[in-house]
Amino acid sequence: MSASSDEAFVLEVLAALEQTGLEALVVGSVAAVLQGSPVTTQDLELLVRDTPANRQKIEMLGHCLGARPREVSSLTNVLRIDAASAPVDLLFDCLPGELSFESLRSRSVAIDLAGRTATVASLEDVILSKEASGRPKDHAQLPILRDTLRVKKALAK
Amino acid sequence: MSAQAETSPRVTVEELTATKRRLQPLLPDMDPCDLDLILTSLLRPFGSGRRFFLREVRPGVRVF
Repeated sequence: MSASSDEAFVLEVLAALEQTGLEALVVGSVAAVLQGSPVTTQDLELLVRDTPANRQKIEMLGHCLGARPREVSSLTNVLRIDAASAPVDLLFDCLPGELSFESLRSRSVAIDLAGRTATVASLEDVILSKEASGRPKDHAQLPILRDTLRVKKALAK
Repeated sequence: MSAQAETSPRVTVEELTATKRRLQPLLPDMDPCDLDLILTSLLRPFGSGRRFFLREVRPGVRVF
C-alpha cells in the first residue's frame, strides 16, 4: 500500500499535534472521511479548547506545518494555518449544535492511522454539527453521511 | 466483517461483494450504488492512496 499525499498530510498534522502537545479533536469532513464516509473537503478542521497555553501551542503547530496561524475573518474566531497540502482550521471550544469540546471528546473515537492515533469526533456528532451549521455545503453532505452511519451500524450487527 | 475492517491491511473484491450481499437486505431502501460507494470507502484502509482534499487551481476549478 502507498499512502496518498492527503493521507500523508493527515499523518503530518497528527505528528505536529503530538510534537506540540496540543490536544485536538479532528472534526468536520475529515472526521467523516476517517470513519469511512465517501466525501471530499477543502480543509482539515481541529477543535481545541481556547486557553492561553493552547494559543501558544497553535503558534508552534503553525511553525511545524510551515505557516503562521491567521484569522479567517473578523466575523469568527477560527484560526487558519495555510499548510502546503491543505488549510488547517482551528476551531475553539464548541461546534454548531451546542456541541462542547468536552462532550465531543467523551464520544470521540480513537483511530489508529499508520501507528499514530487520531482522536476523532464521532460520525453522529459530525452529522449533528453539520445539521446545526446552516451552511448549504454542510447540508449537501448530510444524506451520504447518514447513509454511511446506517451502513456502519448494519456492519456491526 | 465489522467496521474495524477499515484498519485491515487489505479488502478483496470477494469480501466487498459478500459484505454487500449481506447488508442489502438490512438496508432495502438504500440505493445499491450508494451502498457500493460507501462500502468501498468504509472498508478501504487508511494509507491505501485515498484522496479527499480538493484544491482550487483557479477560481471555480477544484481538483483532487
